[in-house]
Amino acid sequence: MSFLELKNITKRYGPLTAVGDVSLSVEKGEFVSLLGPSGCGKTTTLQMIAGFVEPSAGTIRLDGRDITRAKANSRGLGIVFQSYALFPHMTVFDNVSFGLEMQRVPRGERKPRVEEALSLVHLSPYAKRYPRELSGGQRQRVALARALVIRPPVLLLDEPLSNLDAKLREAMQFELREIQRKVGTTTVMVTHDQAEAFSISDRVVVMEAGRITQIDQPYRIYEHPETEFISRFVGKTNLLPGKVASATGAGATVSLAGIAVPVETAGLSVGDTVTLCIRPEKLHLTAPSNGLLTGRVADRFFLGSQWLYHIDGPLGTIMVVTPNDGSTPAEQGAPVGLEWSPSVVRVHRGAMAEAPDVALEVTG
Amino acid sequence: MTRNGPAALIFHTLVVIFMLAPLVIVCLVAFTPENTLSLPTRGFSLRWFQAVFHHPDFVQSFWNSLWLAVLSATLAVALAVPASLAITRWEFPGRGFLNALFLSPLIIPHLVLGVAMLRLFAVVGAAGSFGWLVAAHMVIVTPYVMRLLIAAISGFDRSVEQAAFSLGASEATVFRRVTLPMILPGVTGGWLIAFINSFDELTMSIFITSPSTVTLPVRMYMYATESIDPMMAAVSALIIGITAVAVLLLDRVYGLDRILVGQH
Repeated sequence: MSFLELKNITKRYGPLTAVGDVSLSVEKGEFVSLLGPSGCGKTTTLQMIAGFVEPSAGTIRLDGRDITRAKANSRGLGIVFQSYALFPHMTVFDNVSFGLEMQRVPRGERKPRVEEALSLVHLSPYAKRYPRELSGGQRQRVALARALVIRPPVLLLDEPLSNLDAKLREAMQFELREIQRKVGTTTVMVTHDQAEAFSISDRVVVMEAGRITQIDQPYRIYEHPETEFISRFVGKTNLLPGKVASATGAGATVSLAGIAVPVETAGLSVGDTVTLCIRPEKLHLTAPSNGLLTGRVADRFFLGSQWLYHIDGPLGTIMVVTPNDGSTPAEQGAPVGLEWSPSVVRVHRGAMAEAPDVALEVTG
Repeated sequence: MTRNGPAALIFHTLVVIFMLAPLVIVCLVAFTPENTLSLPTRGFSLRWFQAVFHHPDFVQSFWNSLWLAVLSATLAVALAVPASLAITRWEFPGRGFLNALFLSPLIIPHLVLGVAMLRLFAVVGAAGSFGWLVAAHMVIVTPYVMRLLIAAISGFDRSVEQAAFSLGASEATVFRRVTLPMILPGVTGGWLIAFINSFDELTMSIFITSPSTVTLPVRMYMYATESIDPMMAAVSALIIGITAVAVLLLDRVYGLDRILVGQH
């Protein structure tokens, strides 16, 4: 049995189902992220684990114990809130010490434990300060120390980094992961930022409209998104609608507006409507005569380590990302060819949900 | 910051003078040795201050007013804290009505309240009771406390309470250790304004005080209708002095903007 287990958790608000039939097992020491756009039910799920929201149905088990109806103050979980939720009228030391005090840890034992927690987040010199005297990143660390000092079985992080600026956010991501590894606390994080979820999680749970659509390791979700929604939400992608023209046992040929594209997906039958999904970095620019597709450079954007091209061709605008290897990039308006290996093409059955343009707008 | 032009500067100066002049004049007149409220005055004397202390009814009224203000402000806060928490945080039937009810004394003329309370006290046989006077003052000062508290609670981040709760605190502990300290500026500010309003209240109190519960404003009003002499100025100067010392102390100890603006 898993350490933290959610079984068929559902939360209804009147006719609205915020979270529907969510089941999830988290192993001891694992770092799991709930990823999805706002309103997908990820925060409600976290609040049900925390005990702030009572599930309409389903059970939550922690280390074998049913905590579905247990009060939040009896669960002993560590929670870091999006707003940090520090006690503004207490010093950093008192903030961190609060949980120990509530657990009736003797005074003499509290001090070393608070100091240990503060040194874990590199805030030892700030013990006497008030939260208002700290920067955003420092408050974040106090919140983390306060949650960890009670040695919780599970650490819950609610969009912990979303209030930090980009550079600090990246640094904190790595630090968060490092601290989590050091103390080994089972962690569930909620985020809408796929880069954040991917970089520090053991597994990512993608949620959409109150349901889980995929649970997997980050790179597998990126490479093998199970739905068109995920491929769009997770990173940039090109979505190309087509029809299966011919099929063999192990692969097929898909016709995209008359252009035949080989794929390696088994089990397709002739005449199926499909959507091909190709990541921009899996495409390569070549001479126009060599490509599977030809087009013209409509726009190019320099991203430092990479170039992002928009290529206009017979299938509309296609995004291509190439590493900046120091060579001269393709000029605006230049004719180019596109090539790729059949193995990088993912096939989703069915037509695209929305207009192809959407694929260009969703950048994660 | 943009600098004020000369016209604005003159205007602001005049406003400040207009605000302060009456207070300064009252304090100056209080030290006159003469029998009339005259200015300019010749000489300096404390005879009117001595006169105040030779009127035990004035001293008695001062204590009446002080107790009345302390009690009504404290009770108003005790009522307003749970009431404003409920009104700002929960949806329940009659919420809008309750909110309007608590704030209604602000828009009802004190004269009307005075007459109404007079009738009520007669009906319940409470005429002259100090307890009922406190209750009547509580009605008047509660809206001020409610306004400040609702403002303080509306800006409150509930996740701070959730954090305390998740760390193992009981509801009572969360309230005592987190909620109350965080709305304390609203509580103290509300108490102070309630105290001042009660201490100052004349119109309603004229109707409902009895000879043993006469408040200082009522006593001064009754005295002034009979004779105008510098003793009124001396009483006023004393009140101004006490208030100034209290405000200075509060500012030193707490910081006035923390109490009245609600900053942490």
